[in-house]
Amino acid sequence: MEKTKLSDATDEGIRQIDTRATSVNLFSKLMHYAGIYAVALMFLLIGIVLQGLGIINSFLTTQNLLNILDAVSMLGIVAVGMAFVTYSGQYADLSVPTTMALTGIVAVQMLKYGFFPALIAAVAAGLVVGIINAVAVGKYKANPIIWTLAVNYVTLGVIRLVWVNKQIYPDMIAKTQRASDLFDSIYRLRFFNKIALPLLMLVVLVFILNFIMKKTKYGMQLKMTGAAQKAAKFSGINTERVIGTAFIICALTATVAGLTITSLSRVGAWYNGTGYDFKAVTAIVIGGMTLAGGRGSIVGVLGGVLIIGLMNNIMTLLGVGTFSQDMIRGFIFILVVGINAKSLRSMGRDDA
Amino acid sequence: MPNHYEVWGVTMLKKNITKASMLTFADRNRIYILFIVVFLFMTLFAPRFFNVFNLTTIMRTMAMNATVAIGFTVILIIGQIDFTIGTVITLSGIIGLGLKEYIGFGGSVPVAILAGGLIGLINGLLVAKAKINSFIVTLGMMTILQGAIYTFTGGNTISLSSEDAFAVSDWLSDMIFPLITPRILITIVLVTAASIFMKKTRTGRNFYMIGGNKHTAWLAGINTDKYTISAFILSGVTAAVGGVFFAMESAAATLNMGTSSLMYVISAAIIGGTAMSGGKGGVFNSFVAILMLDVLYNGIILFGLGNEVKIFIAGFILASVVLYEAFAIYKHEKVIGQRPELLKELELQNAQK
Repeated sequence: MEKTKLSDATDEGIRQIDTRATSVNLFSKLMHYAGIYAVALMFLLIGIVLQGLGIINSFLTTQNLLNILDAVSMLGIVAVGMAFVTYSGQYADLSVPTTMALTGIVAVQMLKYGFFPALIAAVAAGLVVGIINAVAVGKYKANPIIWTLAVNYVTLGVIRLVWVNKQIYPDMIAKTQRASDLFDSIYRLRFFNKIALPLLMLVVLVFILNFIMKKTKYGMQLKMTGAAQKAAKFSGINTERVIGTAFIICALTATVAGLTITSLSRVGAWYNGTGYDFKAVTAIVIGGMTLAGGRGSIVGVLGGVLIIGLMNNIMTLLGVGTFSQDMIRGFIFILVVGINAKSLRSMGRDDA
Repeated sequence: MPNHYEVWGVTMLKKNITKASMLTFADRNRIYILFIVVFLFMTLFAPRFFNVFNLTTIMRTMAMNATVAIGFTVILIIGQIDFTIGTVITLSGIIGLGLKEYIGFGGSVPVAILAGGLIGLINGLLVAKAKINSFIVTLGMMTILQGAIYTFTGGNTISLSSEDAFAVSDWLSDMIFPLITPRILITIVLVTAASIFMKKTRTGRNFYMIGGNKHTAWLAGINTDKYTISAFILSGVTAAVGGVFFAMESAAATLNMGTSSLMYVISAAIIGGTAMSGGKGGVFNSFVAILMLDVLYNGIILFGLGNEVKIFIAGFILASVVLYEAFAIYKHEKVIGQRPELLKELELQNAQK
């Protein structure tokens, strides 16, 4: 949360300099104080009201709420990592889908040598993609959207060339039953029979990454780089390294998500992870992070992820078809971002 | 022979200047050079490449994406992005064939093109008036359209099997000249008209000005909002034209006919020299780039290599071009504030002493 008060914008001294109209409506106040969680709460209330009216049942049960969290945990893992890229002012990392597929398929291939070598190989593969992005976008300032899109296709080509369009199965590759079981348990391990491992990983990642973004020197440099890259550069920040690190963090979280999705589907294939790039961007931007960079937080992104989960769950319980859900999701996406941008602008807090 | 000469008392290096100017020339026309190189390579080495039948096939594959690339290039020139082109292609194909039963092609084709224009208008209004980033607007719109396409068709391919539909399909794919079918002719006419419009008219050049610097353009009295909206409308219309004629020629509209076009058109525009940051590039460059990619893919298939090689090479070419451009800017930025020509002169003088 930012420390500045809303009343600053209407302060007498500021008004003389800033002649823009400052209109603060209820929504912008809500967004300012409660962040995106106000919207999440709104969806939760909609669910409860719908259940109260008897239109849907079994919304407000522990199992259903946990299901919502389970369903979005992978998206959350991708989104909190990609948030670093967005926060650094580089829009998005569109190479995430094939990074997920690549790390998954590499891990399955390396299960031959045991579970932990497989993990190490997957992380190494993720790091390679991350470093390629970091060098091109960070050091040589390639356009992030086009570059990561190109990397996405190169990686896809590599996967399909090396594995000749085949899918590989962990239980057939692994030499020992133990390695195969361990790999399966990445998605299926449950603590207290309730909390799944991906959900736990998401919570841990949110804590770690939020700490990095808000409390460390690197986080401060990242904020400055995202807000004003030239100013950051001239004040002595190594912006190349800062942006590069953001891409490497993104690739590493994509690795975690890639291992999870491969463990879920029990197959290593090139199509694992398709669509996660745009889904993650949706979550990040709904979560209040602006594409201009330097504004927003990891906690907000988590809120965006939760909203997507709640929305999907309520619509599924209502019996809305998958493709109508797409339409509604796209509509709400534009609406939330539009209102958020408008209220930010009317408060004089957004120049994008 | 001295390697320097004097112009109005200034010592200049002969060799370096010619080399630099040649490089600039090559860089400006790199897409034509690339096209010639790829075409010659395929003619010499690819089996069964250089014959009328195969070249017509290439032209046919080119027709849809070249039409779509017109609007998309204009979008890039004003510094925006449009992710909806793929779904607009599919939507227009579905509308064009789906409504044919009720109002005939005479009614359904204009409706399909209007639908594309309407989607462009909505995108443009959201970007220019509501001031939402075009990345977000078109991403959301893409999701909406994808849902709409699947909801309204129920996931089925729309195909026509009536006599008159086949007649139209045959007419569109019949050769009228060597290499030219009516659909290819439509594409070429549109591309030529658009490139003349963009390069030779004041309205067209204003798009470049907006892409170069939006605020300057606004201060110079250009209605930037109007231009942004018209660029999005143009993008929607050209995507719809490309999609609807493609669907009519194949007498079928599948639900993923536009999916691969997004990547294809983006690559072509970038390889053709249009910059994502706006203000650079041209419609004709994108056209040649589309042609080059089609020749390349055709050759890859003729060599007997699979789809995976095609994907890999497509990504690799795009990556190299992006990196090359970024590297050029990187090198340029490194010497900002330095005067390399002065340093060279100093060296020269020292050498003379």
